[in-house]
Amino acid sequence: MLTTLLLLPLLGVGAIALIPKPEHSRTIAAGFTVATFLWSLYLLLQSDLSGALQWQEYLPWVEPIGLSYNLGVDGLSLPLIVLNGFLTLIAIYTNGLKVERYRLYFSLLLLIMAGINGALMAQNLLLFVIFYELELVPFYLLINIWGGEKRGYAATKFLLYTACSGLLVIAGVLGIGFSGGTPTFDLAAIDLQNVGLIAQLILLTLLLLGFGIKTPLVPLHTWMPDTYIEASPATTILLGGVFAKLGTYGLIRFGLQVFPEAWQLVSPGLAIIGTISVIYGAMSAIAQRDIKRMVAYSSIGHMGYILVAAAAGTELSLLGAVAQMVSHGLVLALLFFLVGVIETKTGTRDLDVLNGLLNPVRGLPLTSSLLILAGMASAGIPGLIGFAAEFIVFQGSFSTFPIPTLLCIISSGLTAVYFVILINRTCFGKLDYQTAYYPTVSVSEQFTAIALTITIVVFGIQPNWLFRWIEPTTNVMAMMSSEFKVQSSKLEIETLEAPKLMTLDFEAKQTLNG
Amino acid sequence: MLNFTQTAWLIPCYALLGMILALPWSPSLIRKTGPRPAGYVNILTTFVALIHSLLVLPQVWTTPVQQSFSWIQAAGLDIRLDLKYSAITVGAVVLITVLNLLTQVYAIAYLEMDWGWARFFSLLALFEAGMTTLMLTDSLFFGYVMLEILTLGTYLLIGFWFNQSLVVTGARDAFLTKRVGDLVLLMGVVALLPLAGTWNYDGLADWAATAELAPGVATLLAMAILCGPLGKCAQFPLHLWLDEAMEGPMPATVLRNAVVVSTGAWVLIRAQPIIALSPLAVQTEIWVGAFSALSAAAIALAQIDVKRVFSYLTTTYLGLTFVAVGIGASEAALLMLFTYAIAMALILMSVGGIVLNNITQDLTQLGGLWSRRPISGICYVVGAIALVGFPPLGCFWGLAEMVAQAPLPLLAIMLTVNGLVACVLARVFALIFLGELSDNTRRSPEGLWALVLPMTILLGFALHLPQILIVIGVMPAWSLVAEPTSLLLTSSTILGATVGLLLYTHPLVSRPIALPSKALQDFFAYDFYTAQIYKRTVVAIVRGVAVSIDWCDRILVDGAVSFAALFTIAGGQGLRYSNSGQVQFYALSILIGVVLFGLILIYPFLGQLLTE
Repeated sequence: MLTTLLLLPLLGVGAIALIPKPEHSRTIAAGFTVATFLWSLYLLLQSDLSGALQWQEYLPWVEPIGLSYNLGVDGLSLPLIVLNGFLTLIAIYTNGLKVERYRLYFSLLLLIMAGINGALMAQNLLLFVIFYELELVPFYLLINIWGGEKRGYAATKFLLYTACSGLLVIAGVLGIGFSGGTPTFDLAAIDLQNVGLIAQLILLTLLLLGFGIKTPLVPLHTWMPDTYIEASPATTILLGGVFAKLGTYGLIRFGLQVFPEAWQLVSPGLAIIGTISVIYGAMSAIAQRDIKRMVAYSSIGHMGYILVAAAAGTELSLLGAVAQMVSHGLVLALLFFLVGVIETKTGTRDLDVLNGLLNPVRGLPLTSSLLILAGMASAGIPGLIGFAAEFIVFQGSFSTFPIPTLLCIISSGLTAVYFVILINRTCFGKLDYQTAYYPTVSVSEQFTAIALTITIVVFGIQPNWLFRWIEPTTNVMAMMSSEFKVQSSKLEIETLEAPKLMTLDFEAKQTLNG
Repeated sequence: MLNFTQTAWLIPCYALLGMILALPWSPSLIRKTGPRPAGYVNILTTFVALIHSLLVLPQVWTTPVQQSFSWIQAAGLDIRLDLKYSAITVGAVVLITVLNLLTQVYAIAYLEMDWGWARFFSLLALFEAGMTTLMLTDSLFFGYVMLEILTLGTYLLIGFWFNQSLVVTGARDAFLTKRVGDLVLLMGVVALLPLAGTWNYDGLADWAATAELAPGVATLLAMAILCGPLGKCAQFPLHLWLDEAMEGPMPATVLRNAVVVSTGAWVLIRAQPIIALSPLAVQTEIWVGAFSALSAAAIALAQIDVKRVFSYLTTTYLGLTFVAVGIGASEAALLMLFTYAIAMALILMSVGGIVLNNITQDLTQLGGLWSRRPISGICYVVGAIALVGFPPLGCFWGLAEMVAQAPLPLLAIMLTVNGLVACVLARVFALIFLGELSDNTRRSPEGLWALVLPMTILLGFALHLPQILIVIGVMPAWSLVAEPTSLLLTSSTILGATVGLLLYTHPLVSRPIALPSKALQDFFAYDFYTAQIYKRTVVAIVRGVAVSIDWCDRILVDGAVSFAALFTIAGGQGLRYSNSGQVQFYALSILIGVVLFGLILIYPFLGQLLTE
């Protein structure tokens, strides 16, 4: 069942390599992506909503080191897998038809889809790491070959950062595997009950740093704006839409689930880091003059909500965290897509140059209208998916971390500030008729954007259609971690009463003394 | 008889349908017909909504009906869209649909040559859908949601003529100011659920009656709830946007000033039990309202842009509503909002027709139009009388009930405000309709039928307001007219109007009239310099923080990483020159390495080895 999600894209790569005419690569890639997407959708519809792992597949692989081919999905990963298929399809139809080296380009897109599916399905830590690291190669090539002016710099920066992230995650994973009684890397078999809290904290810190780079969290984020603006729109959609989600997915799957006890200790600190990311991202976005960079910084802010929600760890907040991953993936993809269209048509991303694109005669009216909608979705206007997810995050996290949640709400106001700047400068204003001879936006480009828009609106009006797939799993996860909450309730009270910025060391010492 | 109540949830949906149906007439989609069918479709859907709500009204007149739809049901959270159809909510829906219908007809004439019909009418439909849902919903959460949607609608409607730079900044300020209020309200909404366990207004009222909260929590909560209406109703210090909103097209202004801003007051009235938890919040509510009413009326007197005059008057009336709600006269507040909506819409339609074909909104360039525009003139006069406290027309009754319940200092403020409003209305009347003809007014016929018809229909409503109030059973006793406070109210109206008329028509008064001090005059004319204060404080702070964070991000955070990278590269460069290329050297270094590694490994045993 699940292997199909890996095999289909790989078969697509084979087919692209074999076809006589490279011009057909796009159609082939799209065909295999649609098949994968539909299959994942079918699995979603067939899932039993029990919250447990489903369709597990197990093959021993390299037994001496504990590597096994162990796949399984639940409400945490399956929505992201569906999102992955959808966004890959969007990415395939992004960028017009002016791609050179069709075969390589579309093969890489398919490889990315397969890799991300693999990472989301892996139930063996080593298998996860393999997929997690393999992702870097196609992304590196995509950025370096089809990127913008400073693509070499961006690609290298991306590679260095994410390789660091990979190393930290590997270190953490190895530590987890070898710290139990018998070395094992199968997620289900890992039991850290007998491992000391200090050791757990150290391992968790490694993972937090590793996934924090990927997410990215402030101050580990500086690879991200550079990479996002140099990469082509299609690459950016995949990077921001699904690739970065591996970071937050990892935090929840391997942080919260594997270290429920240590998670309770670090969560106040995580909530603060998340809040800082939210405010920092929004504030940095306000100061940008480049629309793509602005959207990139907005992404930092929106990923911060996920961290706050994951740190809170209540049923509602975890649901919000996963919903926000999906919502952010969709909204960010639409934003980057539209920014990409504007850049290709007008030749600039500069806020001081762009003006009046809503003009019906010479401007890009549809693109601008959708940009307004996407900005509003990102700013959390009700009726769109962004609000539903963020509201769940806020309501879920408020009981655990009231102050960070309120700060997050405030900074969603800042989100509105930079989107108003963006819309006022690009869509509103007076179009310069002397220079405005823009190529028309093709039907396929409009179709892609409209597909994303409809998804955003439909889930915004009926968020239950999204939540119902996620909820069972997040409920189970919250229940598991709340058992530990009761155990460490004494410490909870202390941290609640003193909501200061506590470093991990400080907390560790506290636990030692107490 | 058919039961229309069960399907009453369709009322907002008609507007949404109209909004979607208007889309095909966006520019460059359907070219053959031009953009106009978009308008006609929306007029039709609004008409259907009106008929439907009129059919529902008698069915819920005595017994309210409730309906509930599940929206989010997950992880222990059950958010339901609870609708409540009662005489008052459906009555408000009727008012909104009537006004929107008239506004849309009015817009046919006002935007006759505009290409943006599809956008305009779909945004009006968004307003209608948002407002009708807000009226029907019984939950504070959806109250917040609808306020937010109305904020978005305001932003897009003000930005309708986005070519002009003032329009763009006006839209921006409106959106951000209202968003501030909305988000603080959201904080309150989020904080309220764990405490009260419900968002339904009735449930909240029951909870608030028995709630025992720490005074600090209660104050914060009440203040947060207060902030939403504060921004929506354009009260100080969040009033600035309504003034700039005047850059939008006139029909949108009619709808916004008459009903959209009042939705904030509606939420305020419904959420009053929570605000009442904190005496401090109630005092804030009363005094912010009083200050807004008084100062906005004074500012209105100093404006020369006719649309701005009425934007400040809107702030004034909603300020009075705040005061009324604060002193517990919510019934009077609702009564006044109802009559105010009709009177304000009538005045704005009349003024709009004049602005449209005299090409100017500048009061100093108008004059002498009574002979040219008698219908508009009559409409203005009736609207003005209905707006101030003058029996027996509309707003008198609400105002009279308010002043009857007000304590002494507030009574004085209300009377002053009423007098000032009367003076403002008289001044505008004198400047537009009386006096000499100017170049702008010499040729000024009445407008197209679509402009005049809705105006005269509203005129009929305004004239029949007492009758309407009697029919719907909210008319206070006639004896109210003779109460001492009501007599004071009426006299303040007469006094204000007389002073206004005399100042601006009497030949002995030199015009333009100026306050003794230029600084004082500017202080009022420039709206207490609020815009500048904001620019220097909030805007400057946000911008400063943003720029410095951006600087830190580029120089410090990224710089630190780049510096570390530089160090690595430098290290690599340095080491490069230490390589000689001789095999023996490499072999030696490998040997040294191996020996060192071995030593480290056997270090624990080294001591043993040596002692033996």
